[in-house]
Amino acid sequence: MTTRELNRSIKAAVAEGADEIVIKNPAARHNIAVGIRQSCKIMIEGSVGYYTASQLDGPEVSITGNAGWALGENLMSGKITLSKNAGASVGASMRGGEMFVGGSAGARAGISMKGGTLLIAGDSGFLTGFMMQKGRIIVCGSVGDAAGDSMYEGTIYVGADVGSLGADAKYEEPTEDELIELWAELQRSGVDGKPRFRKIVSQKKLYHYDTLERLERTLI
Amino acid sequence: MVYGSNQVWAPWTVDDIHSKADLGRYRIRGMSTHQKITHFDDLTFLSTGLTRFPLEGYKEQCNTRVELGGLNAENPLVLETPIYITGMSWGALSANAKTALGKAASMVGTASCTGDGGMLPAEREASDKLIYQVLPSRYGLNPNHMATAQAIEIVVGQGAKPGTGGLLMGVKVLDEVAESRDLPPGIDQRSPARHPDWLGPDDLAIKIEQLREATDWKVPIHVKLGACRVADDVKLAAKAGADAIVIDSMVAGTGASAEILLDHSGIPTVPAIVLAREALREIGLYRKVSLIASGGIRNGADVAKALALGADAVAIGIAALIALNCNRDIPEANFEQEIGLPAGSCNRCHTGKCPVGIATQDPELVKRLDPDEGAERVANFLNSMTMELALLTRSLGKGDVKSLEPEDLAALTIEASAMARVPLVGTDKVFGI
Repeated sequence: MTTRELNRSIKAAVAEGADEIVIKNPAARHNIAVGIRQSCKIMIEGSVGYYTASQLDGPEVSITGNAGWALGENLMSGKITLSKNAGASVGASMRGGEMFVGGSAGARAGISMKGGTLLIAGDSGFLTGFMMQKGRIIVCGSVGDAAGDSMYEGTIYVGADVGSLGADAKYEEPTEDELIELWAELQRSGVDGKPRFRKIVSQKKLYHYDTLERLERTLI
Repeated sequence: MVYGSNQVWAPWTVDDIHSKADLGRYRIRGMSTHQKITHFDDLTFLSTGLTRFPLEGYKEQCNTRVELGGLNAENPLVLETPIYITGMSWGALSANAKTALGKAASMVGTASCTGDGGMLPAEREASDKLIYQVLPSRYGLNPNHMATAQAIEIVVGQGAKPGTGGLLMGVKVLDEVAESRDLPPGIDQRSPARHPDWLGPDDLAIKIEQLREATDWKVPIHVKLGACRVADDVKLAAKAGADAIVIDSMVAGTGASAEILLDHSGIPTVPAIVLAREALREIGLYRKVSLIASGGIRNGADVAKALALGADAVAIGIAALIALNCNRDIPEANFEQEIGLPAGSCNRCHTGKCPVGIATQDPELVKRLDPDEGAERVANFLNSMTMELALLTRSLGKGDVKSLEPEDLAALTIEASAMARVPLVGTDKVFGI
C-alpha cells in the first residue's frame, strides 16, 4: 500500500464515521495520517517517519513507537500521543491541541509554536521553543543549548538542566499554583515525579528596533 | 570652484552614512532595488518581415491561456493570462488592497496569492484562483484554509531579500493582523529565514509529499526561490518534486526590507530565467515543471520577453499595486505632508502611513482605497498587459504566447546578450558563450 493509498483509506474511513482506525506495520514511513480535519481516533502501532499526524484539526492520534521529524506539525486541535522518542521539530508551528512525547525529543522541539501544549517526558535538544509565539512546552528532563531563543510569548518549563538560554530568553520563578497545575498534568499523562520546574519566558527586548530614521520619527 | 561629482562619495552615499551614524542599524525601506541592472529594456523583439509573416495584430486570435503545475496535480492551475498577482501579505497590505487584488485576478481569469500572514477570508471570497503560501514563519497557516486553495506555494526565498525572512514594522501589526499571526500587537515582526520543520532539499521532498497528502494530490505545489544560485536551486527544487518553480529576482519588490539586502543580493530577472530554463532542460524537466518569473514586470513587453526567454508565466507585485494607485497623487492624499516624499518617489511602505490606503492598516488611510474601484483598475491593467503581450506575439507571427522563444529576441547591450544568451543586435554573436 502506498502512502497515498493509506491516507486516502484513512480519510475515507473517517468520512464514513469510523470510531477507531488502527494502522499496523507503518515501517517508519513518512507522511502518515496527514491533513485530517475531523474528529476521530487513530492508533498507529509501530515507529513512524517525518510529518506523522501533521496538519491535523481534531483527531486523537496515538503512536506506539518512535517518530521522525516534525511529528504533529501545525496541529490545530486534537491530541497526539507518542510512546517513545521524537525526532527534531516535534510540534513545529503547532497552533493548538495537546502533544505528549513519552521519551525524549530532538532539536527544535516546539519551534515557531503558536499555541497548545507540548509535553515531553524525557529530554529535548537545542533550540527548544525557538521563536515560539504562544503555548506551553513542558520538558520533564533537560533541554539543550539556546532554549527559548528569540521567543515572543509562551512558556517553557524545564524539569532538570538547561544547557543555556537563547537570545532574549530569561528565567522566571514559577508560582506554586503553576507547579501544582504542572504536576497534575504530569500525573494525568502518566509521568511520575514532581520536578521543581524552571520557567523560561521572553525578555521582550527584541520586540522593537531601538531606533527610527529621521523621516520615520516624524511618521511613526 | 571646481566642478564635478565624486562617484564614490556621492550625495546619497554621504546621506546613507549620516543616517546609519544616527541610527545604529541597517536601514529599511520598501519597493525594490536601486541598483542599475540589466533588465527587459535591454532586449528587443525581431518582429516579422519577409522571412516570417505576422498575424493580424488587432484581429486574429492569439491564445494567452496557460496551464501551470500539471506534472503531478489532479487539477493544474489554468490561467487565462500568463500574469498573476504575487504573494503579498495582509499586514503589509490593507484588507481592501488584498480584496481588490483578488477581485481583479478573478475578473481576468487569473490567480492571486496570499503572503506571509495567512489567508484573509475576504481575499478567498474575492479570488477564484488563490495560491496559498507556506512560508518559514507559518503565520496563520491553517490546513482548513489550505484545503480551499487552487495551488500551494512553498516559499524558500524572496528576491527582494533572499536568505532572510519577512519584515513587518510594529505600526502595521495592529490587533487583527497580530491575532492572525499569533503575535503580540505592535511588535516589529521579523520572520524566520528557515522553515521550522525542514532544512535541505531531501527534507523538502518529504515536505512536498506532505502538502500533497494534505491536499489529496489535487493542486500543484510551487516552490518559490529568491534568484541567487539559480541553476542548482532549480534542479534541487525540481528533483524534490515541485510542480512549478517561481524564480523571484533581485528586481522584485517588498513592503519592507533591509536596504542592504535589496541592493546587494540576488541576480536580475533576465539571467535568472535563462539559468532556470537551462537547469530544467539539463534534467529533462523543461516545460514539464512550470517556470514562473517575477521581479520588475511592468508591461506586456516584459511579459513577452520573460516568456520568450523560457518562463511559462509571470507574477507581478509592485505593478499591480501601482495600478491600485500606489504613488498616485489622489485628491485625498498629500504625499509631501503625510509621507515626506512626493508622489512617484514613495518607498515608505514599511511606515504604515501609505497615503493611498494600500500599504497600511490605519483605519482612516485604508478608506482611501475602494476595493471595487481598485479591482477595476488592476483588472484594466492586467487586460492591457495581456493585450500588449498578444500584440507582440502576433507581430512575431505567432498565435500562442507559448510559442515565444529566445530566437525572437536580440540584445541591445553586450551585457544583455551574455545574460539572455541571445545575439547582440547587428551581430550574430552571443556574448559569454
